[in-house]
Amino acid sequence: MGRSGRENRGPRRWSGAATLAVALVAAGASSPPRPELRIATAGKLLEEIRRPGAQVVVVNVWATWCLPCREEFPDLVRLHRAYVSRGLRLVLVSADFDDGREEQVRRFLTVQGVDFPSFLKEGDDMEFIEALSPRWTGALPATLVYDSQGALRHFWEGAASYSNMEKNVLDVLERKSSPKEEGS
Amino acid sequence: MTARGLMVSLAMVLALAVAGSGMVRADALALGGSAPKATTKMKNVDGKKVSIADVAGQKGTLVIFTCNACPYVKAWQDRIVDLGNSYLSQGVGAIAINSNDPSIVEEDAYDVMKDRAAKAKMGFPYVVDSGSEVAMAFGATRTPEVFLFDAKGQLVYHGTIDDNHKEAEKVTKTYLKDALAAVVEGKAVPLAETKAMGCSIKFKKA
Repeated sequence: MGRSGRENRGPRRWSGAATLAVALVAAGASSPPRPELRIATAGKLLEEIRRPGAQVVVVNVWATWCLPCREEFPDLVRLHRAYVSRGLRLVLVSADFDDGREEQVRRFLTVQGVDFPSFLKEGDDMEFIEALSPRWTGALPATLVYDSQGALRHFWEGAASYSNMEKNVLDVLERKSSPKEEGS
Repeated sequence: MTARGLMVSLAMVLALAVAGSGMVRADALALGGSAPKATTKMKNVDGKKVSIADVAGQKGTLVIFTCNACPYVKAWQDRIVDLGNSYLSQGVGAIAINSNDPSIVEEDAYDVMKDRAAKAKMGFPYVVDSGSEVAMAFGATRTPEVFLFDAKGQLVYHGTIDDNHKEAEKVTKTYLKDALAAVVEGKAVPLAETKAMGCSIKFKKA
């Protein structure tokens, strides 16, 4: 038995979080913060990756309709919460392209509990892909892990487990791998 | 855990199992290479079995990894079908291959393929790669992703359709069209490898 219908139907975790968010509002709790969205060309994104202050930068390119993206999203947010105090910067880049994408993306991020600035991909695909990593074929989701100097240390396509995400972040934080880019 | 939650978790475990099983996705086919699994018969939307070799044209052969559900495919669909159809009469055979597991996304099911092919007036086969073996052998990763072979059966173009999936009227680089034109004329393809974002192929479990 397959998952019903289109790729853009959310997994259980999303709908559960949405229910909680609605319940909080109904109970009179203040609305969750709406994350700021910034337009990201390849150049702007590289600036964000290289911006000083982070010990490790995780870039995740995703879309609201992408099933594996949605499945791994809660783990990305969890990873950020666990390691932000150790210098993790999570750079979430939506590749959504529908009209009205800003609202779709903001709604999803809000439900996921993202309360820091996030990005909307803009510009030529090939230029964008090559700027992040020539090893990226273009398939979504894609995750790239950079060190504090902005050097790409790990890259993978497709959804990852929390333990794999954490392993690659720790690898950079603890400077165990060589400076050369490695696959994951 | 709910039944649906269990299914989601199971699907993730199975996806990892594919990655760790004997079904290993090859690196993307290199330029100059010939089509792997060319004689593998796949079920077309008309119910007949057809292979890549069956559709090979005198001037070349276009292999398109595609699906029903992906928003990128939907955005490009008219252009993909127009190019495939228009070059059939110029000696370039074409085949669209759906390698996605419909148990992951129901919209990728065979019945939906039949409907999409009819509505798009697809003049070439749209087949089911039921075990995802053909996509794995090509090293395909996403939809849509195209591989174009010349008259000798050598890969001369790999990549995307053009530089603007969203707005056809704003396309400035017609990568696939240029490659097709070159193949028909027996000339070198101007840009042999291109990239664009796409939906990850939902590979079948081993």
